Amino acid sequence: MRAYLIRRLLALIPTLFFASVIVFATVRMIPGDIIDLMISQNDISAGKTDREQLEKLLGLDQPMYIQYFRWIGNILFRGDFGSSLWQEQSVIAEIGERLPTTFQLGFMALFVALIVAVPIGVWSAIRQDTWGDYLGRSFSILMLAVPGFWMGTMVMVFPSIWWGISPPVKFVPFFTDPIANFSQLLIPALILGTSLSAITMRMTRTMMLEVLRQDYIRTALAKGLGERGMVVRHALRNALIPVVTLIGLQAPILIGGTVIMEQIFVVPGMGLMLLEAVSRRDYPVITGVFLIVGVAVVLINLIVDLSYGLLDPKVRYR
Amino acid sequence: MNRTLLTVSALAGTLALAASPAQAQRPQYGGNLEIGTVSATISALSFDPGDYAWKTNHDNLHFETLFAGDLDKSIRRGGKFSFKPDGWVAEDALRGELAETWEWKQDPLRVEIKLRKGIMWPAKAGVMDSREFISDDVVATFKRQVSSPKAFKDYYHYVDKVEATDRHTVTFFMKEYHADWDYRFGWGYYSAIYPHELVKAGAGNWRNAVGTGPFQLSDYVQGNQQVYAKNPIYWDSDTIAGEKYKLPFVDRVTYRIMKDEATQHAALRTGKLDILEAIRWQAVDSIKKSAPQLQWAKWLNYSGVFLSMRVDTKPFDDIRVRRALNLAVNKQEIVKEYYGGNAELFAYPQHPDYIGYFEPLDKMPDAVKELFTYNPAKAKQLLREAGYPNGFTFKTQVCSCSPDNMDLLPLVAGYLEQIGVKIEIQPLEYGAFLSAMTTEKHAAGYFMSNGHTNPTRTIHKSFTPGQLWGPSLWSKPEYTKKMDLAYATKDDGERQTIMRELTREVLAEAPYIWLPVQYFYTAWWPWVKNYDGELRVGAVKPAPVYARIWLDQELKKKMGH
Amino acid sequence: MSVAVQPQFEALPRQRGPTATFFIRLFREKPLGAFGLIIFVLFLVCGIFADVLAPFGVNQISPANRLKPPSARFWLGTDHLGRDMLSRLLYGAQLSVIIAFTAATLATVISVVLGILTGYLGGKIDLITQRLVDAWMSFPELIILIVVVSVLGPGMVQVIFVLGLTFGIGGSRIVRGAVVSVRENMYVHAAQSMGAGTPRILIQHILPNVLPPVIVLFTTRVGAVILVESGLSFLGFGVPPPAPTWGGMLSGAGRTYMYMAPWLALMPGLCITLVVYAINVLGDAMRDLLDPRMRGSR
Repeated sequence: MRAYLIRRLLALIPTLFFASVIVFATVRMIPGDIIDLMISQNDISAGKTDREQLEKLLGLDQPMYIQYFRWIGNILFRGDFGSSLWQEQSVIAEIGERLPTTFQLGFMALFVALIVAVPIGVWSAIRQDTWGDYLGRSFSILMLAVPGFWMGTMVMVFPSIWWGISPPVKFVPFFTDPIANFSQLLIPALILGTSLSAITMRMTRTMMLEVLRQDYIRTALAKGLGERGMVVRHALRNALIPVVTLIGLQAPILIGGTVIMEQIFVVPGMGLMLLEAVSRRDYPVITGVFLIVGVAVVLINLIVDLSYGLLDPKVRYR
Repeated sequence: MNRTLLTVSALAGTLALAASPAQAQRPQYGGNLEIGTVSATISALSFDPGDYAWKTNHDNLHFETLFAGDLDKSIRRGGKFSFKPDGWVAEDALRGELAETWEWKQDPLRVEIKLRKGIMWPAKAGVMDSREFISDDVVATFKRQVSSPKAFKDYYHYVDKVEATDRHTVTFFMKEYHADWDYRFGWGYYSAIYPHELVKAGAGNWRNAVGTGPFQLSDYVQGNQQVYAKNPIYWDSDTIAGEKYKLPFVDRVTYRIMKDEATQHAALRTGKLDILEAIRWQAVDSIKKSAPQLQWAKWLNYSGVFLSMRVDTKPFDDIRVRRALNLAVNKQEIVKEYYGGNAELFAYPQHPDYIGYFEPLDKMPDAVKELFTYNPAKAKQLLREAGYPNGFTFKTQVCSCSPDNMDLLPLVAGYLEQIGVKIEIQPLEYGAFLSAMTTEKHAAGYFMSNGHTNPTRTIHKSFTPGQLWGPSLWSKPEYTKKMDLAYATKDDGERQTIMRELTREVLAEAPYIWLPVQYFYTAWWPWVKNYDGELRVGAVKPAPVYARIWLDQELKKKMGH
Repeated sequence: MSVAVQPQFEALPRQRGPTATFFIRLFREKPLGAFGLIIFVLFLVCGIFADVLAPFGVNQISPANRLKPPSARFWLGTDHLGRDMLSRLLYGAQLSVIIAFTAATLATVISVVLGILTGYLGGKIDLITQRLVDAWMSFPELIILIVVVSVLGPGMVQVIFVLGLTFGIGGSRIVRGAVVSVRENMYVHAAQSMGAGTPRILIQHILPNVLPPVIVLFTTRVGAVILVESGLSFLGFGVPPPAPTWGGMLSGAGRTYMYMAPWLALMPGLCITLVVYAINVLGDAMRDLLDPRMRGSR
């Protein structure tokens, strides 16, 4: 187990190296660089700004490999991810403002997903190939099949027309007013959660089916042990694996945010931040976000893999 | 314009609710004003004016400039100015803001500006103590703006030096007269005056923000909101029904940043927004139907749409081809059927609001008038004369970021196909699209919206060499010379005459397929008072408008919000 | 040897081919999956025969007929440029078929090649490839798409390429997992000891045995591509107009005129939902029938 952990952690190094190089180079390949964008601010000015002057100011006049090593060096030795080229705010500070919200929304969505998925999954396994099974699964899959932005827009628009109400758009930090904070994130979490539920529902159902086919269950049932008690007990134990798997699968959303929900429900999260940084060509922000999200996701997946061992003794680490 | 008609019909619906006490009502202090601004989709680009981000006046309600538009001369108060253009205030609409008076003097050529006395910088913890605003502040600001590494080269080439003559007088010594002098450092995009203490504390950090303006930045959540609290020691006042009121009225102004159009409209409908400044015409009917009490004003977009043709590429080097393409597009039909009447046939490169510079189509020479008629037969004949009897194919780039343009371009392509000219559409992402033009690597056709900015810049930036925003690359030495003359002409009337001639000339040259300009709408709830949809009193500068708004909070409650 | 190639179907009656057996079981045991299949086939037919079925041209603009509600002439109404919605939806099906199938095929090919090579060969190649896959998968899907579309510019080919690549790399894990478990089987060892070359083993023994999960993977990818493409359209990174993608219709004019002309949003929205739903229930049924071990994979 310890050897496994060390091996996985060591393997992180090349993964992150690949990732950082790819990201660093890719964002600078996007046509239309930040200098072009900054210069075209001068819609109203008399002449062109000096390209070289701006490049020098932003440190973009150096060859790319020097820029890369300077950037990665600052991160490794000083923990400094640089600053936004537009706002002069440090990348870490910007992420610090956004990540908690994204994380919170992600967890609320996961919670919703499980509340929906586990009961449906268990139910449709017990009642396999009955109408109950079809209805439950259909609901879950339908929620997956509705485009999120469509659902979000309908929830935003129609209540405002019919009843004069609309979801809150004012962001309040959790520690300032938890209720106001929750009420803004609740609806996007519901939409996101129900659409995520299909994956977990499937997993729960399959696991339950397997459990129900086990000999000891059949024996127990034959002995007349109450069906309900048994299902609940096994369902609960087996639900943990899909939960953990879901966290692993959805880690990018948990950390990286969901652009669409953030945009419609005005949630200041990581997704929109990155989208905006891309459209403004704010290189340090883009690379910083990518790297931090990448590390976090890889670590979460590592923890997820480790926890399988705790949940399921059959799993062995090689 | 029929905007009065529009307001009247909107008012009729709300008569029962709002009309009776409206006349005699006394202004009230307090309340929170929630606004979806013209730029509601974008958070602040920068809070430091030295960064030369175009939105700096819009985001810095706490800064003031030397001059500003005089809202007492607004249409609502019987004047002739709409106070809506994004980068222009007519010379006779100006008043001093931080300046009290100003005067031109000769030998050496200079403008002497007397500053208002007794204006105070408010105290800001960790940045500065409260102190008087003085001439040194103006000089220091100017020096920092000029030496900023992000400054535009030669932006202030006409200024020799700036001196603090005494504690309340600043003198700008000029090398030559420049028509945009007041625009560039008086009420323009980068004209905000800020204290040196702010620079020391870090002007880019919003937590340090401090200025003499009516509001002070109190909270900022990127991608969600910008909150401005009342400046209790603000100097200005407003006179309503003969009585003087200290400004501002409201306790707080909040900019709601909302990327999604549907979200903006829902927030307006449910009273979460008091004002939504920019609504596309497509959405107006549905909002009116679901929220009939809203008040409305409309404004003709301060940005023209066109298909630019690179005159350095074949076949667009031939004026006959360029004119033919203009004749082949049925522009009246576009106004009537595509825009449903929500557009003006002729409003670019000069905007009808540019009093003195704009000439309506019926005053134009026939060579210009003809371009706005639909005449495919003549278009075909011109193409034949130019040697393209079977038409041709050309590539046109368009920004995928603009849903309007993405709709409009296929429509234009449909018209051109009828005279045998085919367009190969190439959509580009925003940054890539912009950079294609600024590096002059763009295709022969370039379909874009371009801001008018102001009556001189609108054709200067597009039709003189060395500019970024002229995708046709059309220019002529005599034309440029005349343009320089216009800029150096001090007399308003004379300059307007020259600019009108230049406008006529470039219109007839047809470097673009000139297209109609669409209307946008502003909506607000009846409890928003002392307001009629005014948008700016300087380049993207709304602070004095918001400072004068007061909220009828009882009415708001009565209406269920 | 030929028996060993299809161990999955050993117990099934031999007189029918596996395909026929599959369909019979689908209709007999999995009515929901069969329903999905019917919808899916309908969608395919619409897409393939769009040119024949559509009453109007896909971009036949007629400003005078803008925003007309459904009528005898325009069965599903017209959009903001006066184009017939039914025709655009049919052509949209065509476009979706093209995009979804090409992208899903590309994705599956990438998954299979990566999965089989790394899973069978193991060792350093496996290690390095897996680290690259890790790096790739640690980023939010949509964000990768946005960056890549920014680099390449918007367009259909770009969307296909990006979706194919992203889903392909992600799916390689599933194929690899299947390969690893097949690799240890008796008949593979037998083939190895008989001196069969690696390509021969891969093609003759490994590939047929990982086919069931690959088929399921392909099917669900088709649905995922349609859904993700619509999300990309919403953010302005999809296939640009005037191409009649369902996602584009829904996120563009559909949202703008949601209230005044609800049919603009309703129709493409229903199309996306129905087809994605159908593909998913079909995929679930296939999974149950073909490969009960494969659980919960996306």
